[in-house]
Amino acid sequence: MAGDLNQALDISATGMDAQNTRLRVIAENIANQETTGSSPGAEPYRRKTITFESTIDRAAGVETVRVKNIGVDSSALPLRYDPANPASDPQGYVKLPNVNTFIEVMDMREAERSYSANLSVMQATRSMLNKTIDLLK
Amino acid sequence: MTTIPTLVITPSGAADAYSRTAGGGTSADGSNSFGAAITQALGQAVQTGHTADDQAMQALSGGGNLTEVVTALSHAEMTLQAATAIRDRMVQAYQDIIKMPI
Repeated sequence: MAGDLNQALDISATGMDAQNTRLRVIAENIANQETTGSSPGAEPYRRKTITFESTIDRAAGVETVRVKNIGVDSSALPLRYDPANPASDPQGYVKLPNVNTFIEVMDMREAERSYSANLSVMQATRSMLNKTIDLLK
Repeated sequence: MTTIPTLVITPSGAADAYSRTAGGGTSADGSNSFGAAITQALGQAVQTGHTADDQAMQALSGGGNLTEVVTALSHAEMTLQAATAIRDRMVQAYQDIIKMPI
């Protein structure tokens, strides 16, 4: 029924929304990959992670996706010898953010592909709706 | 997500409404008639259009969520297409009857 197709449009939209938020988190990570602390021994930027969960839209009775949590990656921070940096400890080492550009770029590609997949579902749904309405003409 | 009212005409519902009209069983208040069903469906279609308008205006002023705008406009577009297709069918049926040689 047309109701199911309309719901498919809404579900794809929540998937696209989730990937939008994921891309925002990736953008934050890449933008802050050189952000060190401002005082000696201070913590630098820590990589942010994102997780998703499925949620039931009770009004429509369908399972959609939403962002569950934006957390912090607690893995070890790399050290760099840079005594001139204001954040360097007494030994002259600076803690750098645990952001790996390659991981972020791969994550970005994945978000892009997932967004495209949801977009394809939307296009297919619209095409099915259009064809059904064309039957009436 | 804001919930968007959509035009839902089930074939069984339409057939029920038509059989009531065809059987001459139009109720006095017209609440169960085919006309009432169409009026309600058109009201929903107009409501869908208003929702799409609101979302589009928000997007124009820089706010709003782009995917919500797209879904609202999609729903409005599909509803309008369905409504016009059904209207064309109804008008055609009336014209067929009017032009019928007696």
